[in-house]
Amino acid sequence: MHIMEGFLPWQWCVVWWLIALPCLMLGIWQLRKVINADREALPLLGVTGGFIFVLSSLKLPSVTGSCSHPTGTGLSAICFGPWITSVICAIVLLFQSLFLAHGGLSVLGANIVSMGIVGPLVGYAVYRLLKDTSVNIFLTVFLATALADMFTYVTTSLELALAYPAEVGGFASSFVMFMAIFAVTQLPLAIVEGIVLALVFKYIVALKPDILIRMKIFSEAQITAARGEA
Amino acid sequence: MFEELLEDVAQRNGLRETSTWLKLAAGLSAIVLCLLSTGYAAPLFIALLLSAAVLVLARIDLRTYAEFFLVPLWFALMSVAVIVLISGGEHVFWSWDPLPFLSLSITRESINYGFFVLCRVIGGMSALLFIALTTPMTDLFVVMRKVRVPDFVIDLAMIIYRTIFFLLDQVRQVYHAQVMRLGYSGWKESVHTFSMLCGSAFIASWDAGDDLVRAMDARCYDGKFALLGENRPVELRPLCALALFLVAASVAVVASQGMTLL
Repeated sequence: MHIMEGFLPWQWCVVWWLIALPCLMLGIWQLRKVINADREALPLLGVTGGFIFVLSSLKLPSVTGSCSHPTGTGLSAICFGPWITSVICAIVLLFQSLFLAHGGLSVLGANIVSMGIVGPLVGYAVYRLLKDTSVNIFLTVFLATALADMFTYVTTSLELALAYPAEVGGFASSFVMFMAIFAVTQLPLAIVEGIVLALVFKYIVALKPDILIRMKIFSEAQITAARGEA
Repeated sequence: MFEELLEDVAQRNGLRETSTWLKLAAGLSAIVLCLLSTGYAAPLFIALLLSAAVLVLARIDLRTYAEFFLVPLWFALMSVAVIVLISGGEHVFWSWDPLPFLSLSITRESINYGFFVLCRVIGGMSALLFIALTTPMTDLFVVMRKVRVPDFVIDLAMIIYRTIFFLLDQVRQVYHAQVMRLGYSGWKESVHTFSMLCGSAFIASWDAGDDLVRAMDARCYDGKFALLGENRPVELRPLCALALFLVAASVAVVASQGMTLL
């Protein structure tokens, strides 16, 4: 769940916007390069954004019964890298706050940092680390998306704890409190999201492997091997 | 499974023809005033005014409005509870130290603070809903172009916008077909079926992207979508209403400085 409108004091809204903006600039710069090199990339990026939005407006078969939804950013980070994902995420977050009243405008910066920057960075790092090793590619996707989801919520707790430190123990104990609340709902959710996206990936490998090879996400040999397993 | 989109409501609201700039000014300044306020009364006052505007002027039905309001409010309550427990204070009503580094207490100050944050969320949410329910995204694209957001970012946003509605339709159809075939009868089946739903959505969106490229090429796409900005002039009555609202809200912020619940 995103931080809602009005929840953060204005000082922190400004701080998170200042952190988010340079990353968005970098993303926009990379995006311009990608689009100039390959005109077909823009629609593909666009539909990925739509996909993230639709995914996050669906409710997962959740364990705790809370209103939880997947973030979907891990998959985009694997496909397009973390910086471009942050631009897509910023647009999706804007739509979410205006279409579904999830999140808000003053806190958009904070939400971009957690869902659009830290989460995808972690997911992308995991994917790059495991990509050329002998680790099964479905396991790679599972780890990348589950960790991207988890770190999104770790960052959200961090943002909340920084804005509202505890009287005793200060920032650290309030961080623990917010983490504890999120852990109940988000830990199972992150695992379910990992499983779901790994299965989605399996589905793509089985039906449309050419997408993955064209995007150079995995090599042809890896896909062939995975199809053998699938 | 599916949530109603604010956008569908916004396309047929009563303030559709009012200037986009005025509506944005009202919503954004309300957000800023809520954030700057130090007492709980001003955000509540702003929420009252904006809710009245949404319900009476934009003619949004009360039930729909309440539903959009309640879901985020529920999450706000959960987080506010944490703030009340950890922020501490002098007049202690109840306290408990479960761990050496963790001390929970409910005090007069923490209740005041928690209530204040809750009111600020209510004020902010009402401002956000005011923008969302009166201004369709299509009008915001025109504003984005006016404030010089790079063209390809706007194009990207427009493609995402279009894909959302296309995909939601598709996902809805597949979902109903899956339910008919008992795809969600157990937890394990649910996860599996849900993955198939997402997978088919991904592939469908990919195909949609390919089709879009072809269609755009056929129509001589040169890297910039034509946007037909409908010209909605700033009229006197909405302008006066906005000015009145800003004055009233600013007075409330100043007057309620430091006001607390207990």
